[in-house]
Amino acid sequence: MQQLRNYIKTFAMWELWQGLAVTFRNFFRPAVTILYPEEKTPQSVRFRGLHALRRYPNGEERCIACKLCEAVCPALAITIESDVSDDGTRRTTRYDIDLFKCIYCGFCEEACPVDAIVETRLHEYHMEAAGENIMTKDKLLSIGDKFDAMISADKAADAEYR
Amino acid sequence: MSDDIVNIEVDGKPVEGRKGQMIIEVTDRVGAYVPRFCYHDKLSVAANCRMCLVEVEKAPKPLPACATPIGEGMKIFTRSPYAIAAQKATMEFLLINHPLDCPICDQGGECELQDLAMGFGSDVSRYHEKKRVVKDKNIGPLVSTDMTRCIHCTRCVRFGAEINGLQELGTMGRGENVKISAFIEKSIDHEMSANIIDLCPVGALNNKPYRYSARAWEMVQRATVAPHDCVGSNLYAHVLRGTIKRIVPRGNEAINETWISDRDRFSYEGIYSVDRLETPRVKENGEWRDIDWETALDVLTTRLQASDGSKIGVLASPSSTIEEAYLISRLADHLGTANIDHRLRQQDFSDQDNDPVAPWLGLTIADLEQCDAVLVAGSNLRKETPILAHRLRKASLAGAQVCFANAEVHEYFFDVAEYLSTAGLVAELAGIAVATGGKLPPAVADLCKDLQPTASQTNVAKILAQGDSSLVLLGHVAARHPAAAAVRALAAAIGEATNSRFGFVSEGANSAGACLAGVTPHRTQGGEARGECGKNAVDMLSNDLDVLLLFGVEPGFDAPPIDAAAQHGFVVACSPYRSEALERDADLLLPIATFAETSGTFVNCEGLWQSFSGVASPVGASRPGWKVLRVLGTLLDGEGFDFESSENVRDELRTALGDIELNNAYQGSAPIVVASDGIDGGLDVPMYQVDGLVRRAEALQLTPEARRSLESSE
Amino acid sequence: MAEIQNFTMNFGPQHPAAHGVLRLILEMDGEVIQHADPHVGLLHRGTEKLAESKPYNQSIGYMDRLDYTSMMCNEHSYVLAIEKLLGVAPPIRAQYIRVMFDEITRLLNHLMWLGAHGLDIGAMTMFLYCFREREDLMDCYEAVSGTRMHATYYRPGGVYRDLPDSMPQYQASKWRKQKDVDRLNEVREGSLLDFIDAFTEKFPGCVDQYETLLTDNRIWKQRTVNIAVVSPERALNLGFTGPMLRGSGIEWDLRKKQPYEVYDRMDFDIPVGTNGDCYDRYLVRVEEMRQSNRIIKQCIDWLRDNPGPVMLDDHKIAPPKRVEMKDDMESLIHHFKLFTEGFSIPAGEAYAAIEHPKGEFGVYMISDGANKPYRVKIRAAGFAHLASMSEMVVGHMLADVVAVIGTQDIVFGEVDR
Repeated sequence: MQQLRNYIKTFAMWELWQGLAVTFRNFFRPAVTILYPEEKTPQSVRFRGLHALRRYPNGEERCIACKLCEAVCPALAITIESDVSDDGTRRTTRYDIDLFKCIYCGFCEEACPVDAIVETRLHEYHMEAAGENIMTKDKLLSIGDKFDAMISADKAADAEYR
Repeated sequence: MSDDIVNIEVDGKPVEGRKGQMIIEVTDRVGAYVPRFCYHDKLSVAANCRMCLVEVEKAPKPLPACATPIGEGMKIFTRSPYAIAAQKATMEFLLINHPLDCPICDQGGECELQDLAMGFGSDVSRYHEKKRVVKDKNIGPLVSTDMTRCIHCTRCVRFGAEINGLQELGTMGRGENVKISAFIEKSIDHEMSANIIDLCPVGALNNKPYRYSARAWEMVQRATVAPHDCVGSNLYAHVLRGTIKRIVPRGNEAINETWISDRDRFSYEGIYSVDRLETPRVKENGEWRDIDWETALDVLTTRLQASDGSKIGVLASPSSTIEEAYLISRLADHLGTANIDHRLRQQDFSDQDNDPVAPWLGLTIADLEQCDAVLVAGSNLRKETPILAHRLRKASLAGAQVCFANAEVHEYFFDVAEYLSTAGLVAELAGIAVATGGKLPPAVADLCKDLQPTASQTNVAKILAQGDSSLVLLGHVAARHPAAAAVRALAAAIGEATNSRFGFVSEGANSAGACLAGVTPHRTQGGEARGECGKNAVDMLSNDLDVLLLFGVEPGFDAPPIDAAAQHGFVVACSPYRSEALERDADLLLPIATFAETSGTFVNCEGLWQSFSGVASPVGASRPGWKVLRVLGTLLDGEGFDFESSENVRDELRTALGDIELNNAYQGSAPIVVASDGIDGGLDVPMYQVDGLVRRAEALQLTPEARRSLESSE
Repeated sequence: MAEIQNFTMNFGPQHPAAHGVLRLILEMDGEVIQHADPHVGLLHRGTEKLAESKPYNQSIGYMDRLDYTSMMCNEHSYVLAIEKLLGVAPPIRAQYIRVMFDEITRLLNHLMWLGAHGLDIGAMTMFLYCFREREDLMDCYEAVSGTRMHATYYRPGGVYRDLPDSMPQYQASKWRKQKDVDRLNEVREGSLLDFIDAFTEKFPGCVDQYETLLTDNRIWKQRTVNIAVVSPERALNLGFTGPMLRGSGIEWDLRKKQPYEVYDRMDFDIPVGTNGDCYDRYLVRVEEMRQSNRIIKQCIDWLRDNPGPVMLDDHKIAPPKRVEMKDDMESLIHHFKLFTEGFSIPAGEAYAAIEHPKGEFGVYMISDGANKPYRVKIRAAGFAHLASMSEMVVGHMLADVVAVIGTQDIVFGEVDR
């Protein structure tokens, strides 16, 4: 009896119809895709994207050139030069991140004792000319300034886990 | 001897020690590391950090390993739970008042406190009260202070008192309020003070010029040799991306132990001075113009080829490497000139034929400590060679009688048996020579005729004669003396009569090497006499020459200024620097590398050949001197200039020299005539003016020492 | 008549079915394979050598990039080796998190494999369906670590941080009505665990869909049944592990045979095949997905009830919390030293292997007592599988090569390292 049923199924292409039924049902399901870039998928506050250098609320740079991020960077993407600043504090004179080398592991952010270097949620960036892959201190600071609200909120949200 | 042996047990292993040794010396020897802050093997025991607590069987409490002498049958446990608990507790106390400075502290990453906290401390703090804060002191341009970080190990205090003999830092207050401080807002001033940077186990005392500029882990450590005095202190250069960030001592018990002078430590700043000559330059119609190397060498070879050999002069710095010296003397030979010299500050060349093949100390540097009677004549030893002065101080502390003869009175931080300064140097030495009572050699007999030695002179002679291991040393002032020949002959005679050894403290890093390589007008390589004696340094600067080649020499600073009346056809300067004087005097400037950017060899005052390789990338288009000379030699169709490396150059000279023996014995017999005793004073070159590198080291120029020399010269 | 010679053909390294950068030199007699010679090394990055020059923790990120379809599993083996040398074990909660994410990773890998394998031999839809589910799992990755692939999440002594209590949500836009957004956010209202829980509820149904599409499908069967049959003996001799070995009927799974972390507390079965052909290996992997789903469920239940630390409370190995680091001297020093110098491991050697989605993935590590490994050797399952390429394809048609590459689940990140 079983054998007969199998014969019929084989000739009727039963399993193919079953499969087509699965795909056919999808016509009536809501789409799983989204209309990027008008719409975006949700992003975790922990997202590790483009880097930024932050400032204190009074506008003072957070970074104190301790070079922990440079030391911990597995890809050697960070280059820092430091010196005594005009007010006698320890400051960077150069802070470069090579985005081509960076592997976005987040160690720089973990290492930073003053929450200066952070990885933001930004992931939509591109380069058009050679050399733009180097994020200089100015560029990093301006990202930090521009997205300060978002960065602060993200970091506050995740603070209890770190 | 067997009475001296004590049998103890360290961590269950039987170990032998000498009677009177401290536990820590034994544990260090067998490799059982005990953490410590205040203990240092070159300093006295203070036992005030309490970090080295270990468990000793039958002792009621843990004992400090650095201050507990071993005893027969002692059983020591360095890693027992009891010892670890004691160390952990000490660490916790040390960290209570330590500020959270690691991220901005230069010591971070090479900090003994960090290392021991990781290795021996707890991983979480139980202290939540306020921390102590201490005001910083300004102790000068070389050492930065962050005294809140101080853990009161007192290494710096003991270093001043015991090594320098000048206690510049001290403790004030008690208990928690103890502070390390200099005498009210006073700069540290000793020429070896900056060694406290290395001694400080935390970040309280740090290198000021280096401040905040690099991290220990990102720099590469490369070995080199100090280029400022004839000691040849061993150094490590810490290099970041081709740039020297700081210099630290490289331990060598035979030479500099673990110390270096401040001059050796901070002179690297001169490498990155704004004065650095970055490209070859030529003067055309009074206007300076940058050119490339090819053109520059072209100009020079044309000039040299067009000149008569005897009208070419070559002056080289006594701090040039022996490779440079050898190539430059070969070049002079090829050009057919004997006008070549490196004795830039010497005035009296009259007795140069009786010079030793190369000046040397007469003994090894370490043996200086073993001397029991020393006469240092014509020298400002502390400023000329701080390391030798330190060795002499150690000898003096061990009981040696040290006497000085010099027109100017300099301070020494040990008991000076006699300081002869009243009569001129020649007269004082002649007095001592007479007082020895021996038969005086014919060379000096005339000088000593009818002299009545003073009591001091007699005393010096007596000290030297009684010493089992006595020494007569001539310093830089003696070499620059207008009657240098007489000074030398007298000193040699004193040495002979008192059975003392006789030695020279020569100028620059490589006078000995320059002599061996033949950078002298009267002798060629290996001390071989030249057929015809050429012009010496003074003659060259004051006479007309077709071409004058200056190699690392700035006339007016390293040597007397070029005589205004002298009409030199063409002056070419191979120099790491451009300066007003050079731009006025020279017609062509070729940028050469400093000691840090070239490989080479210095022969120090004990005759030791110390080779080193380049540690930093040359600034601008400057090239190692030996390479410039090699190319120049080849361009001038010289034979055998095609060396592949500086080692080839060195080895060729070394083979040519064979086993040359250094011997200071004075052979001259012709009576020496002194026109006048001359002026003795003013022969000192200030410590931070000796060469171009030091003159441009900013921090050194801000020291009290440098300021004093400026004031006195004005 | 001219002698007929074998024809040599290059397959890859740019062929889309070569799964990356495989270069196969095929010796063909007509359309029948006589010999296959895989060339490896085009994706060689020297991971093992690189690891020798970095403090231990800095290489975790490089492990992600070995088998880039099962990132956390690679990390797992590496940190296990370190923990073995250090003689420490992570807190129990961290072990559960690791097991859960290992299984999530297994799903990620198998979904990637199923989609690509299907696509290679003609089942386009599979690719789309598999990626639909992968998207949710990637969101789990992102929620916990901040990246969707290269997590750098496992650390010696535990995992970097605990699971988040909230999930990011969709925002309404002019393209999507609030009702729509609410539907999408339904599973995102709670914590990450709720999100994963919802996934595990849904996932068996998804696997049913895949099976409906493939398992009985005659085309699929024609392409896989009796293709590349490997006998149990040969499978053992060739060094097969994982589904490749189980497909040949040998019941070997490190999670059962040498349990690590908390696998001994998990209830799951090991599927095995009978014929050792591509179809059996397909069935084994599909069943593994169902079993993984079971394990994830068990982990979720435990994790919900048992909060606790996820990192070792020993700052000689694990950096202190950021709050502590900012006002506590000891913590600051340990933070500073751990991020610059790292920790040192006592001299010794250790081999730690895990049941990676592809088979046995092991890290053999020698320490000379320094803060960097003296030597790291990575045992990648795919390498042994690829070595059997010739044996598996000989006598089959050219088109079957694609099926064999698919069934081996080759990823060049780990083969070339």
